[in-house]
Amino acid sequence: MKWETVIGLEAHVQLSTETKLFSRASTAFGDEANTNVNLVDCGLPGVLPTVNKNAFYKAIKFGLAIDASINKVSIFDRKNYFYPDLPKGYQITQMEKPILEGGSIEIHIDGIKRKINITRAHLEEDAGKSIHEGFKGTGIDLNRSGTPLLEIVSEPELRSSQEAVAYMKELHKIVTFLDVSDGEMSQGSLRCDANVSIRLKGETALGTRTEIKNINSFKFIEKAIEYEVKRQIAVLESEKKVEQETRLYDSVKNETRPMRSKEFANDYRYFPEPDLLPVVITDKEIDDIKKHFPEMPKEKSIRYVQKFGINESESSIISNSKNLANFFEDCIEIVNDKTLLAKILVGDISSLLNKDAKEITDTNFTPENISQLINLISDGTISGKIAKDVLEQIRSKNIDPNEYIKEQGLIQISDEDEIEKIILEILAKNSEQVKAYNNGKDKLFGFFVGQVMKATQGKANPKSVNLILKKALSNEHT
Amino acid sequence: MDDKTVRTIFYLSRLREDKNKSEKIKSDLKAILEMVNSLKEIDTDKILPLHNPLEETSRVFEDAVNSDNEKSLFLENAPESDGDYFIVPKVVE
Amino acid sequence: MTIQFLTISELKDLINRKKISYEELMDETFQLIKKYSSINSFITLNQKQALINAKKLDRNNLQNSLTGIPIAQKDLFCTKGLKTTCGSKMLSNFVPPYDATVVSKLNDAGSICIGKTNMDEFAMGSSNETSFYGNVHNPWKFGYVPGGSSGGSAAAVAAGLVPAATGTDTGGSIRQPAALCGLTGIKPTYGRVSRWGMIAFASSLDQGGPICRNVEDCALLLDAMSGYDEKDTTSLKLDSTKIHNNINESLEHLNIGIVNEFKQNDLSTDSQKLFSNAISEFESLGAKISEISLPNIAQSVPTYYVVAPAECSSNLSRYDGVKYGYRSSNADDLESLYVNSRSEGFGEEVKRRILIGTYVLSSGYYDAYYKKAQQVRRLIKNDFGNAFKEVDVILTPTSPSQAFEFDSKGKQDPTELYLEDLYTISANLAGLPALSMPNGSINGLPVGIQLIGNYLEEEKILKLGHHFQKETDHHLKKPSLEEFA
Repeated sequence: MKWETVIGLEAHVQLSTETKLFSRASTAFGDEANTNVNLVDCGLPGVLPTVNKNAFYKAIKFGLAIDASINKVSIFDRKNYFYPDLPKGYQITQMEKPILEGGSIEIHIDGIKRKINITRAHLEEDAGKSIHEGFKGTGIDLNRSGTPLLEIVSEPELRSSQEAVAYMKELHKIVTFLDVSDGEMSQGSLRCDANVSIRLKGETALGTRTEIKNINSFKFIEKAIEYEVKRQIAVLESEKKVEQETRLYDSVKNETRPMRSKEFANDYRYFPEPDLLPVVITDKEIDDIKKHFPEMPKEKSIRYVQKFGINESESSIISNSKNLANFFEDCIEIVNDKTLLAKILVGDISSLLNKDAKEITDTNFTPENISQLINLISDGTISGKIAKDVLEQIRSKNIDPNEYIKEQGLIQISDEDEIEKIILEILAKNSEQVKAYNNGKDKLFGFFVGQVMKATQGKANPKSVNLILKKALSNEHT
Repeated sequence: MDDKTVRTIFYLSRLREDKNKSEKIKSDLKAILEMVNSLKEIDTDKILPLHNPLEETSRVFEDAVNSDNEKSLFLENAPESDGDYFIVPKVVE
Repeated sequence: MTIQFLTISELKDLINRKKISYEELMDETFQLIKKYSSINSFITLNQKQALINAKKLDRNNLQNSLTGIPIAQKDLFCTKGLKTTCGSKMLSNFVPPYDATVVSKLNDAGSICIGKTNMDEFAMGSSNETSFYGNVHNPWKFGYVPGGSSGGSAAAVAAGLVPAATGTDTGGSIRQPAALCGLTGIKPTYGRVSRWGMIAFASSLDQGGPICRNVEDCALLLDAMSGYDEKDTTSLKLDSTKIHNNINESLEHLNIGIVNEFKQNDLSTDSQKLFSNAISEFESLGAKISEISLPNIAQSVPTYYVVAPAECSSNLSRYDGVKYGYRSSNADDLESLYVNSRSEGFGEEVKRRILIGTYVLSSGYYDAYYKKAQQVRRLIKNDFGNAFKEVDVILTPTSPSQAFEFDSKGKQDPTELYLEDLYTISANLAGLPALSMPNGSINGLPVGIQLIGNYLEEEKILKLGHHFQKETDHHLKKPSLEEFA
């Protein structure tokens, strides 16, 4: 591969504040058009912005998590341009003195850790939405107008579409864990612009970059970048130049297309926002935020291993999902066998979640019913095999485990005498196989176990079966 | 100000350049710029720009919803709306 | 007995002595306005609601500082349910769904808004010749300008139609029309009066304030209009002023500064004489007169004409035909919507300022113009800081000239009109309070003087002004209005 890909990402994270950055209208998603808009969001003549301090606190939380430096005095600037969903004809943003500078995000690719440096992150207000379908012209909904965004700019240090996705996933993890954003890409809470260029391997100068705007899913990030890289390579290999332009990703055609070019480039004429004064954050406020800092996945994982004795790999998986981690911690109080809990969460339950593409919070699984199930397994009431069935019943029919196993008569048979009786019956019925086994056909052990399970509808305690069967067979031998 | 610059600032301001008034607007703008050119002579080395006479810092506000649904209030003033949305000519991205 | 030309205290006296009911007061006010409609001081009248409010007041016994007093609001202040145009075609159909804080405060003080006054379009002008609704006449002489941008407010008070009106002042738009119309007006310290609902021209310079017949009434209105408003981040965290009650207190001997650099300006002999008279008057009041230097003061007009257009070019971007205001019928696509609505909706002066503002902010020019101007602005502020170490108050003429004929200035060269703001602009740049009072007349046309105070010292300049008015009678003069009846 003679070409190297260079990617820088500008992520827009919608902050999960109750109200907008500069007005006290609600930021709730999905409401009827233009119902979460007040005079300020609409840019009416004579209105003025007022600053939401929670937006600053969330930005600072993020800054602390990525080890950025926090500008204790930050100012707002106006970015001037015309667009129908930008009511004032300017966006209030931070150009010269953003709230955060520097910091880094660590990504893991194929077992290798890489540190991606952050240039800066700043607060700005979101625009409204333009809806092109279903109107004679275009319909403008200003609900989203004024929602706080944290724009996070990475250094152009990503080298592949996979790295870009890993970076965005890590970003998603951080902001959801911190409760800085709900990270819902489908709702537009997390979106990114990708700056993509290529250069010959070994070159230090950057090639001409294009900007792919507003990508809103991990899958599209990967595909858009892949397409664009291929396209740029083709351009350069045919001795042409890559145009510096803004492009949009078309997910239906899987291609990027240049946005309508304009005769005049947009000059945003930034200048300090005269309706606002500099915002000062005190050391005390930063300390308070530090004090109430939520536990991040790394620390969580270490704590799980040390405190609960579960293994590192399972701990890492659980701690990296806010929902799984919360669930795990709720169960931990009630379960007897913590290791089993971890195993089942990471194994059977996660498989079911992936199959249905659901978060655990959107299922019938609760800490109560799962803990019940775990305890039923760990105290030997039901076998592992039965447990799988019970799990499925919880998932699909929201049954109560204790009641269900009683109703269905699924309690494990652990009585050794009973098991011995059944085993002896099986062996008696299958004397040929017994002879064959004792003559060396070890594989038939499984056959006998199968027969016992069949006879007991799977309820026989497998451990006991194994022990007693071995003994019985060796008795037969002699 | 050359013609290209004039065209650019008309565009950025979203104002129509009127061919008939072209000379007048250029001479007006020229007169104003000549008047403000005297600023160049002033020594402002190490002087911080003054953006707001108050020189205070912002008050910040609690993140609590304090707005009723005011949709009808301002959709009433809209030049074109369907009662739910503001309508503009079709926008091509 | 007529209510024409009465001050607020004179009206209050009539009301208290039951010589006139609130309803009668309203009726007479609207009759006067109709009689003198050729002055063109009003864009919209609020007759129906005003009468309802007056009748209510007659029925109950409320007593606030301004109960029942008719007040005209400059058409730059949003009035809920009452058309607010800013003197522009762009907002000729705009009915705000809310009241500006200034409006609600004056309503809460009991006053009655009788209508919206004419003004230079979007507050840009010094002669009220740029309004979509036509020129306003100076009541002192038909066909002469009242000053601007609060020309309609000044004319309404000067003609005695209302005792008080609100104005806004970005570069002198309260003080200069007050001076040209023989009235008293004050621009408060920046941040004193809330800008919520005060349609923005230049955000870091705009301030609202009263135009009245005398200092006393200005103090009364300022007390009602001022005070912290959390909806305006640039509003000072202070209670409303309480100056009116103290206005008669004796004044300690003040140091008054005369600006050295202004001596170089060409004032006519008559103007110089009137200004000297004022100086003597202050001396006889016990003030000490000194010379002070404001070394960068000559740069105030250039500084202003970079900063104000820059801010206005951005503030006026919201007028795009999308959410409110004028929309052109030629709007087949987005660009036409913008360009045609704005080109048809805005007048020439507004367009000029938007263009200059766009230019000085644009990339490549920002440092040389906008940043530079804001740096010089700080120098001007610092100069005042130094001057106020030597003196308590600074005295200047308000305006280089008296009222002039329509169309006589600024037609060939717009900067000619800009120089009308020579004395007033620096107080806006620095954010200082400044008062203009009548100081006589030349050829029948009024002349004003200006007192600039240090930050938050409105009380000092108002008291000084009040004592000046107790010893002089310039503020008692009235125009004959023969040409208008």
